[in-house]
Amino acid sequence: MSATAADGARISFDELLMISGCLALSLIADVAELPVWVTVTVAVSVAIRLARAAQGADAPPRAIRLIVSAVSIGLLFLQLRTFNGLSAGGTLLCLVAGLKILETRTRRDLRVVAMIVYFLSLAMLLQSESFWLFAYLVGVTWLTTSVQLRPTVSPSAGDRRRNLRLAGRLMAQAMPIAIVFWLFFPRLGGPLWQLPDDGRGATSGLGDSMSPGDITDLAMSDEVAFRVRFTAQTPPAEDRYWRGPVLHDFDGRAWTRPEAWRTVYPPLRFHGTAYEYVVSLEPDRHHWIFALDWPSQWNASQAYLTTDYMLMQRSSTMEPVDVIVTSRPLIEPKDPLTPGMRRIDTALPSGRNPRSMRLAQTIHAAHPDALDFVHAVLDMFRHEEFFYTLKPPRLAGDTVDEFLFDSRRGFCGHYASAFAALMRAAGIPARVVTGYHGGTFNRFAGYWIIRQSDAHAWDEVWIEGHGWLRVDPTSMIAPERVERGLNDIVSAGQSVTSRWQQRTPWLGDIRLRLDALRLLWRDRILRFDETSQVRLLELLHIPEPDGRKLVLVLAACLTAGMGWLTWQIRRDLTLRPRDRVERAYATLCRRLAAIGLERAPAEAAEAYAARVASHRPDLAAVVVDLCRRYSDLRYARPPALRTAAAFIVRVRSFRPRGSRASS
Amino acid sequence: MKRLRQAAATGLARWAERRHGRDALPLTVHRRRIYILPTRSGLALGLLLAAMLLAGLNYNSNLGLAFGFLMTSLALVAMHHCHRNLLGLGVDAEPDADGFAGGEVRFAFWLINAAGVERCDIEVRCAGRSRIHTVPAHERQPVVVPVPLTRRGVIRLERFELRTRYPFGWFRAWTYVQAPLTAHGAPRPGGELTPPGSAAASGGGVPAAEPRGEEDFAGLRSYAAGVPLKHMAWKVLARGGEPAVRSYSGLAAQPQWLEWSALTRLDEEGRLSQLCQWVLQSDAAQREYGLRLPGTEIAPSRGLSHRTACLRALAAHPPASTAA
Repeated sequence: MSATAADGARISFDELLMISGCLALSLIADVAELPVWVTVTVAVSVAIRLARAAQGADAPPRAIRLIVSAVSIGLLFLQLRTFNGLSAGGTLLCLVAGLKILETRTRRDLRVVAMIVYFLSLAMLLQSESFWLFAYLVGVTWLTTSVQLRPTVSPSAGDRRRNLRLAGRLMAQAMPIAIVFWLFFPRLGGPLWQLPDDGRGATSGLGDSMSPGDITDLAMSDEVAFRVRFTAQTPPAEDRYWRGPVLHDFDGRAWTRPEAWRTVYPPLRFHGTAYEYVVSLEPDRHHWIFALDWPSQWNASQAYLTTDYMLMQRSSTMEPVDVIVTSRPLIEPKDPLTPGMRRIDTALPSGRNPRSMRLAQTIHAAHPDALDFVHAVLDMFRHEEFFYTLKPPRLAGDTVDEFLFDSRRGFCGHYASAFAALMRAAGIPARVVTGYHGGTFNRFAGYWIIRQSDAHAWDEVWIEGHGWLRVDPTSMIAPERVERGLNDIVSAGQSVTSRWQQRTPWLGDIRLRLDALRLLWRDRILRFDETSQVRLLELLHIPEPDGRKLVLVLAACLTAGMGWLTWQIRRDLTLRPRDRVERAYATLCRRLAAIGLERAPAEAAEAYAARVASHRPDLAAVVVDLCRRYSDLRYARPPALRTAAAFIVRVRSFRPRGSRASS
Repeated sequence: MKRLRQAAATGLARWAERRHGRDALPLTVHRRRIYILPTRSGLALGLLLAAMLLAGLNYNSNLGLAFGFLMTSLALVAMHHCHRNLLGLGVDAEPDADGFAGGEVRFAFWLINAAGVERCDIEVRCAGRSRIHTVPAHERQPVVVPVPLTRRGVIRLERFELRTRYPFGWFRAWTYVQAPLTAHGAPRPGGELTPPGSAAASGGGVPAAEPRGEEDFAGLRSYAAGVPLKHMAWKVLARGGEPAVRSYSGLAAQPQWLEWSALTRLDEEGRLSQLCQWVLQSDAAQREYGLRLPGTEIAPSRGLSHRTACLRALAAHPPASTAA
């Protein structure tokens, strides 16, 4: 029962197994980011160590460990070229953790591995926003902490449940202080030093190019692109086109956005209802902000408008941002289209899609007026045998020709692309706009969710005297020509999700409620910053909140927190019956003592009951029954769980009144 | 570095002594006498936490910060638990411990846990040696710390220490118990001379009979502490009588004097070793014996406490340099 040293003590196989398990659990969360060979190396070294430990052997010889470490770290450096930055550093840390397991022998080693697990968890959280990952890693921390809680010498040394319980208590006690720290610890406005751009954390979404069929992938994704809350009025569905990248360059197959678009935008006159709204963007590599047509006002410090009316962020952030935008549905250009822009938006690759070019010229000959021509082309899509499908046949080469004349099956990308090409063939400036259309209203929290499945592509054409007009050729396809795909999808402007929700409304409700929680998480937790801290201080009625006061509040709260902690931890020292039955009996005695019938220190339950009964005949029946139950539970055959529960419930509801003597 | 740390520890212990004074055992550890400092892993953890905080701030990651703060708070909680592990712990110690030079002396302590929580990994430390022990709730448990003895003599320890690193080894809480412990290091038994009272006995001429407990039964006398167990009259006790001891009238009933002055041919430590050997032999033979040392005389008697008294007298005999 006694041992000499706590730190140098050898760890048991059980402990080694547990800490290896903790390491594995934390690596699982990161495994997608790790080079495969690193994962394999870690797994093999853990396996070797465990196998040796199972045979009672120690760590492999020092020379072997050194060679393995040097070789694998060297290899990693050759692969990554740097150990700087989060992903490289994280990968190195994973490798080192695996190698450390290989030589783990004592409690000190165990603690080192635990610290690596802690730091790995942090490294993962730095680039994640997920509640679930956070909860998972806190769980892993709990396990890791419990492994270290094993006493060196104790009859309960091998009791994992005891260690887990204790670790849970420690973490629960740490929680309030952690919250105080988190709320009041001053945040920095920007990074202390420049972060290496890892390219990690980039999310899927619209890119700055589109070839027909691109959007199909997005249509399958339920991921949230952004959320919108309208301050006052919500525009009708036909106006809810969320403008994303505008594409000008066409190479016969794909549409792309030219680099370095000018930031100056032409003066516009706005008409119609002003809709004000807050766009809550998810972190994205790209700079654009999805705004309704046409953005008229926005927080200028965060965004600017381009020549083709795209709202761009001034800097790309890897954090979620909110932008307040006002849009109006109608515009009127003050100036004619510049020759430069006209040239760009009428350019076609020579020699590509010859059949479409001829078709455009034929229709144009019949409808020389630009607006008539637009309507004629739309009529073609409406009346001829064009089908809408998410599983279009593969197109190669001249995609517009193949789509218009051969397959006639496509998705919004095909229609937008073909329409713009036909317009340009007739000399009308046209461009493809990608973005999102529609969205789901979350009636539980009053905001719109726009998912990747709402991704859409449409066109804009320049008509003299009208300016840029939005045209959505996909909406021309008659509903009966919308094909049900393999996954039983989809009609234009209606996402997979919304159809699915129509069929099972209650499931949809759950999803909406969950998304409301997710938004709450994003707004209250992820986006918590200096401004939120100032607001928090205002809420606490602290006049003129600033950084200094924040620190003072932090200090005050921490002091209170530490006081609470001291009380909370020392409370255990005072004698307290652990058993629930014992505690209930103590409650019973306390309640009887309150009416003047205190139990003598050595008085047995039944004798006590008799005495109470003699003083208060009105309580006799209950008290005698309770005391008999207590004696039975305590001293008779092993008590059934149910009788113990019944005893406890009865004691709780026993509330004697009056004084010592009966009335 | 190690010497520096030792010096600091001694200085701190002295300061603590001036602050709290000497302690009376048994002692309950009060919060004002518990000291706590981070260990080396605790300092490493501190660096780790600082790195976590910096990373969280730099990446402006609220989740990273939340995790970093959770770990920071966990460290604070661990500090409190480490402190509490000692708080209110009762400790008692046997002030004297006996051993032989070249062997070890076993200091006996009691850890008394009156609280309703288990106290894990309590380290009792004296004379540079320690033992770790876990005391369950509401229990009182013995801890024995063996300390090797290199030479004969009385070693007086001014204090001993209770330490703990539980729960995580990030902190070390300790307290000094300023109560003296004495180790009586009797000489290593040795020498081939036969004890006096046999061949060296002046008169009688009765051959020395090795007593084997086969002496004549002489009757019962009342119990006194230190009587060998096999001399107890268990049957008397079992019948409900007072504890009694069988006494024997053997040849060894003649008191035997183990004398320093009889060993003129040996050097001082040799004499002490020989005397020690004789004490042990006489005790094993259950003879009545007395011990005469320069300046000390222990009247003939027998039993465990007598044996201890004799051995302690041998241990306390002033060493050659100071005796001269």
